[in-house]
Amino acid sequence: MTIVVLEHITKEYRLGEHMVRALDDVTLSIESGVFLAIAGPSGSGKSTLLNIIGCIDTASSGRISVAGHDVSGQTPDQLASLRARTIGFVFQTFNLLPVLTAAENVEYPLLQMQELDKEDRKERVQEMLELVQLGKFAKHRPNQLSGGQRQRVAIARALVTRPELVLADEPTANLDHKTGEGILALMRDINRKLKTTFIFSTHDKKVIDSADRLVGIEDGTIRLLGVRKEGQWAITNLSRKGPAQPAKKSQSEEESNA
Amino acid sequence: MSLAVAQGFLEDVFVQLAEAIVHSQSGHIQLARQGFFEHGAHQPEKYLVEDPVGDKKRIATIPEVQDVMARLSFSGLLNNGRADLSVIGEGIEPDAENRLGTSLRIVAGRRLASTDKYGAVVGKGVAKSLGLKPGDRVVVVMSTSDGAMNSVELEIVGVFQSFSKEYDDRGVKIPLSAAQTLLNTTGASALVVLLHDTAQTQRLSHLLKERTVWRDQDVRTWVELNDFYLKTVELYKMQFGGLQVIILVMVLLSVVNAVNTTVFERVSEFGTFRALGNRNSDVLKMVVAENALLGLIGGALGVVGAIIVGQVIQRTGVPMPPPPNSELAYVAYVRVTWFALAGALAVGFTATVLAACVPAWRVSVIQVAEALRQSQ
Ligand SMILES: Nc1ncnc2c1ncn2[C@@H]1O[C@H](COP(=O)(O)OP(=O)(O)O)[C@@H](O)[C@H]1O
Ligand SMILES: [Mg+2]
Repeated sequence: MTIVVLEHITKEYRLGEHMVRALDDVTLSIESGVFLAIAGPSGSGKSTLLNIIGCIDTASSGRISVAGHDVSGQTPDQLASLRARTIGFVFQTFNLLPVLTAAENVEYPLLQMQELDKEDRKERVQEMLELVQLGKFAKHRPNQLSGGQRQRVAIARALVTRPELVLADEPTANLDHKTGEGILALMRDINRKLKTTFIFSTHDKKVIDSADRLVGIEDGTIRLLGVRKEGQWAITNLSRKGPAQPAKKSQSEEESNA
Repeated sequence: MSLAVAQGFLEDVFVQLAEAIVHSQSGHIQLARQGFFEHGAHQPEKYLVEDPVGDKKRIATIPEVQDVMARLSFSGLLNNGRADLSVIGEGIEPDAENRLGTSLRIVAGRRLASTDKYGAVVGKGVAKSLGLKPGDRVVVVMSTSDGAMNSVELEIVGVFQSFSKEYDDRGVKIPLSAAQTLLNTTGASALVVLLHDTAQTQRLSHLLKERTVWRDQDVRTWVELNDFYLKTVELYKMQFGGLQVIILVMVLLSVVNAVNTTVFERVSEFGTFRALGNRNSDVLKMVVAENALLGLIGGALGVVGAIIVGQVIQRTGVPMPPPPNSELAYVAYVRVTWFALAGALAVGFTATVLAACVPAWRVSVIQVAEALRQSQ
């Protein structure tokens, strides 16, 4: 089953008189339940791609469908509702509300779900905080938490609505390497436990190995697709010219070439 | 806050102006016979109150009344031995008049005193025309009601200057008794009533009309006697309206600016809300509600501030230069009314809410991705 389908997506920004092409004819489908990394250097279009998948940005052309909804013709309010129920976001800068406690931050997305009463919400919030191992920090404000703890609160917030899809744009970029690995391991655990699809972007090759799917992006085009089975990456190289060239590489080779 | 204080200041200007008018000349209420206020200037002897002493006593028993005094108008010729000048005179009771106060400024000599049985103060123009100075002797001549000529010899004790050059060119003030001798009467033209409290004027004027001190009496309040007061109030209020608009615009602009800054500093926060599934309209409502609350708090603080400033000024006063046409400098106070405070509060509140709408709308329509990018 596929959860995201992108067909010939192009995204252009106007910069003064120039048009910057951030995404150039991207076609991609993502299976449900994967833990997918979008890798590429800074400025390659990772954020743009994630934003379009997350329905917080619109493509210049192409078709997108997310969790069975064709996104193209939808109104802003329909998209907001889709985001509220189907998509969770984790940001590079955490984006927690500084005046709210960890628990209140996690509870925030639930306030829009009228079917949940206060008790339900409390229960879910506690469940999520425990899932990210912050059960004891419910009453803490973001500024009383470390970067890693903040990002775990953000993950709990992204998961509390039980979304099918969690998007994380460089979730480890503001964390030291060890903490970043911990965050990815946590997301990976949750991905396995709850079968939630995770898509994260990174420009750090070292964290790619926690993923089971890989999309390599450069200059707004997909250059490489990878599937990992039993610790081995099966890599498909896509050149702009010529047909796709399947190739099989070992993990170490991939690292040195990507 | 500034709105409430400014309005309070204006209220005070009106009150002060009213007091100035009352105490410069007219008193609170004047009683005379029908027709005197219209035609008395030409033939004062035709409109005489016959028993001023008795009438004064009766009016003085009313508790709100502070003072009653009689005035007797006349017109005649003033002679310095060489030349005549036609003058408009008034016989007054010097002690009571001094208690009432006057807008006349003495430029030479002194005021009339009750001991001056045959003293006179003359206008600056009169003194100039006839070459008079304090100590000089003059004769006032006039024809009495029965046709005979009557005259009184007087000594100049002072020269005055008023607001009006015309009055200074013709005006003479002499003791009531001297004027009565001149007109060969024991009557008076008008009784001037001074009250303890200006606010009681309307009530007392009704009361006096009902009591009917004499048959064909005409009762006038100081507002009726000084029609320029209402005109001035109107003019000031109009000017204040302009000031209000200016303050309002300034308030609005600064609030728009402040709200703009705070809202745009938090664009990425609003972007986060929307990524988490809030609708545009939710964000819009949030921003407006937040600013409504801020406006309310700010307005309340302003009201407290206005009350404090009002109190401080009320205690100390602001010394003001004399207004045009007047010689008296005065101390301005601020009368902050509840009405003005409520108005200022409403203005503050509305301004913030209105000011919030534009940036709120702009934030809510900006692309979410664009809004989030601002945090990086
Ligand atoms: N709002 C924008 N206006 C103009 N250019 C933009 C905008 N957003 C992104 N870009 C450009 O699009 C390209 C891809 O950006 P982005 O998706 O943020 O890359 P990444 O996340 O991989 O660093 C870059 O060249 C960037 O400069
Ligand atoms: Mg990026």
